[in-house]
Amino acid sequence: MHDPRSGQVARRELDTAKTVDFADAEPSAFASMLGGLIEANVDSRAERRRDFDALAARVGIWVTDIDEGVTLDFQRGRLVVHNGLQPQRDITIRAEADTVMSLSNLRIGPFGLPVYYDEVGRGVAMKLLRRRLRIDGLLGNLATVNSVTRIFSVAG
Amino acid sequence: MAVDFGSDEWASKFKDEVNRSAMYKAAARGWKWTVGLVVEAEPDKNFPDSVGVVMDLFDGEARDIKVGPPSEAQACQFVITAPYTRWKQVATKELDATKGMLQGKLKLKGDLPTIVRYTKASQELTECTTRVPVRWPDES
Repeated sequence: MHDPRSGQVARRELDTAKTVDFADAEPSAFASMLGGLIEANVDSRAERRRDFDALAARVGIWVTDIDEGVTLDFQRGRLVVHNGLQPQRDITIRAEADTVMSLSNLRIGPFGLPVYYDEVGRGVAMKLLRRRLRIDGLLGNLATVNSVTRIFSVAG
Repeated sequence: MAVDFGSDEWASKFKDEVNRSAMYKAAARGWKWTVGLVVEAEPDKNFPDSVGVVMDLFDGEARDIKVGPPSEAQACQFVITAPYTRWKQVATKELDATKGMLQGKLKLKGDLPTIVRYTKASQELTECTTRVPVRWPDES
């Protein structure tokens, strides 16, 4: 929703009691889907909840083939989802829609590390090597990337 | 031979395509939920009434696919809703279903982690629709 007085996209009053909340009055379909996915994942699995409660980071996700993105502002036990890429992100993931879905299907292996040796993992690793999946800020934030991957993961 | 979109013949051919797909069988192993597709009316496209497609999918097999009122499709565990034109775009490969959902062009209701876990199966299901030769109401 556009606020003509401010020239800014309208913002919502945030509900601090919610696990996942949306910064924008009209969250995009992608923001709603990702927020819903994370909320369901965190609410249903204790190990995901532990990661979620410990994570403080701003993560951008840009889907290159639909030109849409979100910023996930993890605030130790709470997530605020913004439409589009917002400033001060720790990491930014850029990939096609299919690859973003594949990230959610990465299995989590020993020591809580994503599994890159099965079919889904190999596909994701190849996309990283071929730069069809880019993670800006990866080097300084490897632990954050792994936490976010675990929180996203719907794989058993 | 082409069949009318949304007809019983179309549902039967769609079911046959799903059950012919080895890729679907492998990707949908463990799936045990009903899926409803709601095709919303677009009278100006010669599609005057909304239609529901109820898909009884179980462990990589289509046990039944039938066309009926939208209310039956809406009662399924997973429901995907879009206007007629969007479904036509999906079935003619103009619109990728995954992208369509992320863009809100196809509206999804149901447990998100489950549907994301079966992304490959749902993509193959879409592929199966593209293999059914269809007579579209706005082209006849």
